[in-house]
Amino acid sequence: MIISGNYKLLQGRSLNTVIQIQNLRKKFNTKIKSSGFAAAVKSLFNPQYQTTHAVDDISFSVERGEVLAFIGPNGAGKSTTIKIITGIMYSDSGNVKVLGMDPHRQRKQLAYRIGTIFGQKSQLWFHLPPVDSFYLLADIYDLDRNRAKKRINFLTEVFQIGSYLKVPVRKLSLGERIRCEIAASLIHEPEILFLDEPTIGLDVIVKQRIRNLIKTINSEDKTTIFLTSHDTGDISSICRRAIVINHGQIVWDDTVNKMKYSFFKKKTVDLRLQSPLQLEMDGVKILKTKNSSAKLEINLDLVDLTAVFDRIMQTNQIKDMTVSNPPLDEVISLIYSKDKR
Amino acid sequence: MKSFLTAIVKAFKLFISYQKTNLSAGMEYRAAFFTQVFAMILNNSAFIIFWMILFDRVGTIEGYDFQAVMFLWALAAVGFGIAAVFFGNSTYLSRIIYNGELDVYLLHPKPVLPNLLMSRTHVSGWGDLSYGIILFLFTQDTSISHLFLFGIFSLLFALILVSLRVMYHSITFFMGNAEELAARSSDAIISFTLYPGTLFKGPVLLVLHTLIPAAFAAWIPYEIIKNFDLTKLLLLIGADFVIASIAYGVFHLGLRSYESGNRMGARL
Repeated sequence: MIISGNYKLLQGRSLNTVIQIQNLRKKFNTKIKSSGFAAAVKSLFNPQYQTTHAVDDISFSVERGEVLAFIGPNGAGKSTTIKIITGIMYSDSGNVKVLGMDPHRQRKQLAYRIGTIFGQKSQLWFHLPPVDSFYLLADIYDLDRNRAKKRINFLTEVFQIGSYLKVPVRKLSLGERIRCEIAASLIHEPEILFLDEPTIGLDVIVKQRIRNLIKTINSEDKTTIFLTSHDTGDISSICRRAIVINHGQIVWDDTVNKMKYSFFKKKTVDLRLQSPLQLEMDGVKILKTKNSSAKLEINLDLVDLTAVFDRIMQTNQIKDMTVSNPPLDEVISLIYSKDKR
Repeated sequence: MKSFLTAIVKAFKLFISYQKTNLSAGMEYRAAFFTQVFAMILNNSAFIIFWMILFDRVGTIEGYDFQAVMFLWALAAVGFGIAAVFFGNSTYLSRIIYNGELDVYLLHPKPVLPNLLMSRTHVSGWGDLSYGIILFLFTQDTSISHLFLFGIFSLLFALILVSLRVMYHSITFFMGNAEELAARSSDAIISFTLYPGTLFKGPVLLVLHTLIPAAFAAWIPYEIIKNFDLTKLLLLIGADFVIASIAYGVFHLGLRSYESGNRMGARL
């Protein structure tokens, strides 16, 4: 069940579709075994398998230049979907077109036009400086020396990695390494960049820097960004659209803003008043009061914000107030839990 | 034809680039690099003394004399060295498959298997390579024709060794982990090729022409270099390419059931 309406149906289909997925399915047969030596022997002669539907009939499309968050809990089918889209894995059925190509039959041609960063798999040679890996990648992507040099200079400037370009990767901090990883994935000027957990393990400052870089790539090179992340900060600061996948199915496909607004029918209001709050009203829950400050939770299904403020202002004066949406973490948790089977 | 030539040039360029990168990575630890190379030369040299003493006492073994056995040793060392230096990942294929590390190579715009095989070097392979060449120069006929044939046979030895590893490691796609099987088959072909082929008879000989094709790797080349026969040479090249094609086919069949993985990793 898709909780929101299909984003593409709302937006209208464009000729600039770069990823088109229809009825994609992939299942795995996993060997299962009870614990203990006896079970291990039994499993040797009579193995038992369990079928997991990692991707179960999903369809969506992505437009050129979009910044899409593709999210879901662990084991939801995100990585499997990305691996099918990028040509790493075969699907069982369904139709996949990336930049008009079949990722399996045209894997090599497609590889020239897409870039990937899998947080846990490095493209950089551990004992060598990043610049050596950059030139090797330039050869892998058949870039001539001049073009490679220009591109590496450009990326060095944009990513501000000049100071450690010649330092062996093993001596770089995680943040420095990730910046080099992203630069490495952009050597061949890909049209779509797949990022799987690019900010995992980074501190807040480096995370923000990486997010800004991703935004820069999107705005300057018009690179389509396909991002998976468990970090809601990545999603809210980079992505305009989110697809949520759970149990191999799409459970949400719409804008990140709409996700925030339409999912939670509750707002949190912090007030600073002239005098202590006296209020009893359906749909309003007083979370906290202290002197003339108060924190309320307002259920928008039962009452309008304006009605609440009008009622307060009949007997009091509002000096300051903050109306906030619930954190994205909570929204996403709610989407996951609604889909629990 | 032009696009074929372009593809060959590009493949060669990438091959050189991988070699440069691997050598640079190896040279990061210069002391370890030279220690490994010289340790391998010393290790291999120790066996020469054993064979010298043996042949000093027995003269010949089933038609093989000291020089013939040294030919086998030189061929195996150079063939093994070529496989180790230029196709180093052939020994790690199972691990690469079950750890999901094939992803990196599948995302490159290159044929997966050659790209994967040549992306790693075993530094010690330079030791084997140097040792084999020196051994050949000191113990064999160094006429141009023999040098030329030795070069061809060394490349074919490496082709068979790498193909055998690819074939057995690819069983990992279907069975989960065939690392030991592949390692033992690789050890077996090396071990058998170091002994006179005429020692083996019956069913063992059949195994050594099929599952562990030591005959194609070393003994038939020895027969050809001893008494040159063009037909035999062409048949040998044909047989070697059949073995390589089977390995390539098994790998690509397995690739269809590749399940990738999420293990953390770095390129070393």
